[in-house]
Amino acid sequence: MVGEAIVITSGKGGVGKTTTSANIGTALALQGQKVCLIDTDIGLRNLDVVMGLENRIIYDLVDAAEGRCKVQQALIRDKRFDCLHLLPAAQTKDKSAVNPEQMQEIVETLRPEYDFILIDCPAGIEQGFKNAVSGADKAIVVTTPDTAAVRDADRIIGLLENEDIEPPKLVVNRVRSDLSREGNVLDVEDVVATLAVDLLGMIVDEEHVLKAAHKGEPIAMNPNSRASLGYRNIARRLLGESVPLMAVEEKKSFFSKMKSLFGIKS
Amino acid sequence: MTNNNGNYVTIKGTKEGLTIVLNDQCSFHELLEELKKKIEREQRLFENGPQVEVRVDAGNRYLSKSHEEEITEVLNKTGSVRVHEVHSNVMTKGEAQEVIEKATVTSVTQIVRSGQVLRKTGDILIIGDVNPGGVVEATGNIYVIGALKGIARAGTEGESHAVVCASVMIPKQISISDTYFYAPEKHEKQEQKPAIEGPGYAYVTGEEYKAIAFEETKMLGHYLRSVSYT
Ligand SMILES: Nc1ncnc2c1ncn2[C@@H]1O[C@H](COP(=O)(O)OP(=O)(O)O)[C@@H](O)[C@H]1O
Ligand SMILES: [Mg+2]
Repeated sequence: MVGEAIVITSGKGGVGKTTTSANIGTALALQGQKVCLIDTDIGLRNLDVVMGLENRIIYDLVDAAEGRCKVQQALIRDKRFDCLHLLPAAQTKDKSAVNPEQMQEIVETLRPEYDFILIDCPAGIEQGFKNAVSGADKAIVVTTPDTAAVRDADRIIGLLENEDIEPPKLVVNRVRSDLSREGNVLDVEDVVATLAVDLLGMIVDEEHVLKAAHKGEPIAMNPNSRASLGYRNIARRLLGESVPLMAVEEKKSFFSKMKSLFGIKS
Repeated sequence: MTNNNGNYVTIKGTKEGLTIVLNDQCSFHELLEELKKKIEREQRLFENGPQVEVRVDAGNRYLSKSHEEEITEVLNKTGSVRVHEVHSNVMTKGEAQEVIEKATVTSVTQIVRSGQVLRKTGDILIIGDVNPGGVVEATGNIYVIGALKGIARAGTEGESHAVVCASVMIPKQISISDTYFYAPEKHEKQEQKPAIEGPGYAYVTGEEYKAIAFEETKMLGHYLRSVSYT
């Protein structure tokens, strides 16, 4: 097996990189894929919390990079799935505790064991970003539909163009129906037009996402959430299925709202 | 060889005024000595009359900056002569390279994204957008086949006749030489309208109070012809 290593990045903090990593990972695992999540946000780790796997951490990414343990020893196994593992970030170090070569080595060690290796990237464009990107062959850029996040996503896409990596795919997170949109919120189509990359999916803004993170139970496990459906569709698209962007994402009422958001006449 | 029959320096009167033609075969030292002598000899010619503008023609001699200054100094000493121009047919490879660069159009097929700076000597043709936070700089003109949503700086070495042209003109900022255009901030104006509807170009207008104005692209030829006369 030769797994794909995908970095999930954004530039700006708080737009949903960790949420996206956790939920795409969960959705892929629900499809029977072997998935390994790597948290590279050293010093601010929280993918373990969102996944509900924080209490069993003994070793972390820095331990594995520095050879204090084998990479396999640092993995946390998620018992809810056949194969969903997490390599947690260190909490007490900083981003410079790992370098790109070490990251590449870790990814190469894991690659034969998994279908997907998802790398949760820290905010910013410095060392942490460089580490996260160094091991990846694909990238997913996450943004929210606001000017500042889109500006940072654009910056990140520019930096990714200099890397030996496929053209990134876009996830627009926290999309609201037009009724609750206000002020500085952009249309998804404007976001896609500016960034000029393929749209992999969009995730609605939903209170369940926050509650799920709080419970340590990724929203993708909940079959009754619209955000969950969004993540499951992204997983199917990553597996090569062509899932129409809007058609099945939402329940009827929301669907019609989305259609008007996209200017599609029903 | 000091006796050269005074052949190295010739003073000619032309329609434009006086031209001092310098021999381009002798050594610079000999040339300068003779120029000094000749000026001394002709002192009367310059002394009482009104100030004359002269043009110096060095022919096929390469003149370094310091050579040029020495010649100018000798002439300016007379008090009544002002050197308008020192001309030479010869330039260094470096200078020639610069002239070529300034006359070239570099075409680039990419999106200039936030945080990226694209800087070129001469003109730039961008096939793609310039996104907010992206910067394009040229000593000449800038042409964007796409949307200009970031910053464009044309004529960065002082060419105020340079233009910035774009299919969709929604710049955050444009500068041409030292004249600036700033888009209104969002709190000043809710609606972010293009600076001009449809394809357009930005240019410098005004004599005393310079400002950047926008015009439809179809008028660009007219503008370029009008400035080539000035
Ligand atoms: N689609 C969504 N709807 C509602 N809240 C969300 C959504 N996506 C993310 N959030 C919340 O936004 C916050 C930041 O998300 P997180 O994934 O930690 O961002 P990042 O990793 O980019 O810093 C979290 O509290 C998360 O629960
Ligand atoms: Mg995070």
